[in-house]
Amino acid sequence: YFWRRMALTQISSNKCFGGLQKVSEHDSVQLNCKMKFAVYLPPKAETEKCPALYWLSGLTCTEQNFISKSSYHQAASEHGLVVIAPDTSPRGYNSKGEDESWDFGTGAGFYVDTTEDPWKTSYRMYSYVVEELPQLINANFPVEPQRMSVFSHSMGDHGALICALKNPGKYKSVSAFAPVSFSGYLGTDQSKWKAYDATRLVKSYPGSQLDILIDQGKDDQFLSDGQLLPDNFIAAWTEKKIPIVFQLQEGYDHSYYFIAIFITDHFRHHAKYLNA
Amino acid sequence: VEEESGQELGLDRSTAKDFHFYHMDLHDSEDRLQLFPEENTRMRKEVVQAEMANESRGAGDGKAQRDLQEEVDELVHLYGLEDDHELGDEFVDENMPRTGVSEYPPYVMKRRDPAREQRDWRLSGETVEAEDLGFGGWGSAGQCQDLREAYRYTPGRASEEYECYVIPEEEDEEEAADVFCVTCKTPIRAFQKVFDEHKEHEVIPLNEALESAKDEIHKNMYKLEKQIIEMENFANHLEEVFITVEENFGKQEQNFESHYNEILETLAQKYEEKIQALGEKKKEKLEALYGQLVNCGENLDTCKELMETIEEMCHEEKVDFIKDAVAMADRLGKFLKAKTDVEISAQPEFEDQTLDFSDVEQLMGSINTIPAPSAPVINPQAPNSATGSSVRVCWSLYSDDTVESYQLSYRPVQDSSPGKDQAAFTVTVKETYCSVTNLVPNTQYEFWVTAHNRAGPSPSSEHAVYMTAPSPPIIKTKEIRSCEEAVLICWESGNLNPVDSYTVELTQAESPEASDVTESVVGIPTCESLVQLQPGRSYIIYVRALNTGGPSVRSEPAAVHTIGSYFRLNKDTCHPWLIISEDGLSVVRSERRIPARDLSSSDTRFTRCVAVMGNLIPVRGHHYWEVEVDEHLDYTVGVAFEDVTKQEDLGANCLSWCMRHTFASSRHKYEFLHNRTTPDIRITVPPKKIGILLDYENSKLSFFNVDLSQHLYTFSCQLHEFVHPCFSLENPGCLKVHNGISMPKHVTFY
Repeated sequence: YFWRRMALTQISSNKCFGGLQKVSEHDSVQLNCKMKFAVYLPPKAETEKCPALYWLSGLTCTEQNFISKSSYHQAASEHGLVVIAPDTSPRGYNSKGEDESWDFGTGAGFYVDTTEDPWKTSYRMYSYVVEELPQLINANFPVEPQRMSVFSHSMGDHGALICALKNPGKYKSVSAFAPVSFSGYLGTDQSKWKAYDATRLVKSYPGSQLDILIDQGKDDQFLSDGQLLPDNFIAAWTEKKIPIVFQLQEGYDHSYYFIAIFITDHFRHHAKYLNA
Repeated sequence: VEEESGQELGLDRSTAKDFHFYHMDLHDSEDRLQLFPEENTRMRKEVVQAEMANESRGAGDGKAQRDLQEEVDELVHLYGLEDDHELGDEFVDENMPRTGVSEYPPYVMKRRDPAREQRDWRLSGETVEAEDLGFGGWGSAGQCQDLREAYRYTPGRASEEYECYVIPEEEDEEEAADVFCVTCKTPIRAFQKVFDEHKEHEVIPLNEALESAKDEIHKNMYKLEKQIIEMENFANHLEEVFITVEENFGKQEQNFESHYNEILETLAQKYEEKIQALGEKKKEKLEALYGQLVNCGENLDTCKELMETIEEMCHEEKVDFIKDAVAMADRLGKFLKAKTDVEISAQPEFEDQTLDFSDVEQLMGSINTIPAPSAPVINPQAPNSATGSSVRVCWSLYSDDTVESYQLSYRPVQDSSPGKDQAAFTVTVKETYCSVTNLVPNTQYEFWVTAHNRAGPSPSSEHAVYMTAPSPPIIKTKEIRSCEEAVLICWESGNLNPVDSYTVELTQAESPEASDVTESVVGIPTCESLVQLQPGRSYIIYVRALNTGGPSVRSEPAAVHTIGSYFRLNKDTCHPWLIISEDGLSVVRSERRIPARDLSSSDTRFTRCVAVMGNLIPVRGHHYWEVEVDEHLDYTVGVAFEDVTKQEDLGANCLSWCMRHTFASSRHKYEFLHNRTTPDIRITVPPKKIGILLDYENSKLSFFNVDLSQHLYTFSCQLHEFVHPCFSLENPGCLKVHNGISMPKHVTFY
């Protein structure tokens, strides 16, 4: 514990909406490398412990994308939520194939523990996000360990949902922007991703009170590519009785410009459960 | 008198020879009689002491006596003299105050014996005589003052007597005594103890004896003081009685005066009448007689003339005589034919006339009776004195007339046809008030009253209009709407005629410490009131109607809970195909289509869209309600302005904001419609109960899946006026509204 704490290095700290936007670095045990993550501490955190909200970024992103583009700080400040945005994958292994495809490898951890070489030892993003990072945050920042939620963008949606479904009660609420992994992408390689098949997990999820908010831009390029098939998976979720409100937002695309407008809705959604 | 008083006062010493005791309490002497013996026992004690003192000739004792005298003097001045001087000064101009004293001797006090207690009320011999002088002249206030003056203590005399009482002791003093012989109760000189008669006696120091004597005297002083106060009170009482006597007799005097004057006037009038009648009669008779006399004289003249003419004829020539005799015979025949009236037309006798004195007798008879009372003065109606069926009428009599009873009459005031007054009711009472019952609520009655005694009734008082309180209003319990901060309550007047205003009374139920606290909203002109309340409480509400007569009794209570917003469906807006349940919270569209008769367009009733509105309280704030739906039913729920076009679908204009559910080919479609547009929103779990939050403050309308605490959608809407909940059923089924419930926590985030 002490070692881990000592290993935490603050890279930057900026005041924002009365709170502090920090970026820190630490040596990850799970990922076997140095990992950066961003933490926003709302003003309320100066006097008391606050709930923690984990943001899982999409493909190709680092911790910087969310904190610089999503305009979330005001909502976080008002609701008194500590917001943690980790990087999306281990970096710097230069292993074979790591940078070959934008949608797998560096910047594309999919928040799962890989079972195959060459990534098996270090691409353990699921364990990192679900276990190591919360422990680190709980130990170093004024957060309430019992109150945490997860939300995400694009590729991160898979992670967010899996995290929630595999750990009933650990996350109070889930939400997503432009979810990629909910549909076909996962479906193409079902045997490999069985353990992370959200629909299967849903069946065994004990508590049905998992309220999921999803916002999707109608002009999203992935939507037109057919990588996002909302009608299909809404039908699937409907059949599974997973409570989702899916809002197709007219004219918005997949970018952070889209996230920035609806981020307040998502913060309210999480605050409803975290501050209840 | 002398003997009796002497015995009664226990005067065993016969110094009372000169004294005349007189019980001067003229009105109520019992108390006074009891006072005298008490005084006298005390007196005797003091007398004995004083005598002892004389014998012993003690210097200290003498001093004590002096003290006593001074104190008594002081008291006399305090309680009696000052006042008396004042009175005397005030009435300097009175006729002979000295005479006053002797005129009202019962109040004069004389002290003749210095050894006697000076408190007795004593009379000199002449006072007894004076008693018989009576009170004839006691009419004026001045004489009243004479009386007061008369019973005062005579200051000069008092002090003189005290002097006499004390001085001898001082003079008799030879040598200072230094001890006190208890047995003989006298101060002696110490050496006397050794021999003389004090040899065997108990002796105490003189100072000690002095102290005990002083104590005794002080005690007596206290008693005297009390006595003075009592006497003062008694004197005041006498004064009051005096004034009363004066007033009563004055009144009676006036009464007599007026009566006797009346009788005298009547008699004088009668006399005048009689004299006049008599004179007329006399004149008439004389005139008649005179006329007869004149007539008679004329006849006589004629006769004489005839006689002369005949005599002259007899001296005429034969031929002439014959001629004239024939003419004369005719004339005589005519004359003698005329009847000579020798009847006396008027009798000299005085015709007997009966004198009618009955009215005078009546007047005489009424001298000893009281006059009929003057008209009572009826009071205007006291505020809040009436009930729905009764009024309390009060009146008063300004004069002190004797009244045996009052007759109170009343009848309803008629607005129309003033000629046809209703019969008046009359009640007889002895008091100057009357509660008249069995009246009609909220109605004006006019009242008037007459006072009666043996002499008859007084004139009637003015007519006063009293009004009965209204009947209680009837709260329209089915139209009560409430929210956390307020309640809108409506009622029926309960009265045919208009009332002045209404009062709403609220008590908090279920709060024992505040259960007796009643808040009131007063002066409500209409049959509706929006009352501010505290959130989360239960209230019992009553309404009263008010008019000038007072408030009605409370209406039947209505219970209100300020938990959430409570409303009922508005039947006036209901599409003919919909049926609202008895509790006003459910709406059913049946399978069978009743042919709609009232499908002509209406401003209040939905005619195209099969919808109904709820009556939400017009209060800006938060309102939350839930709607239980069937997940296969096509329905629309939301809000709309009151003037929303009733011929359009809900959500098809900019006056309504709605969530519409359609179920087609086993797929649920949810639309959030305003002005015919909806966002593209997919909902995976069909809600069975929809929560609706209307937030005026933030101009928002939000929808929730109640069972999942799931937020579905939020409108941002400009609510420039009040909106009402609206519901429509696109196919047969049922919607059930749940309201009057507190807002779930998850809702508060939106």
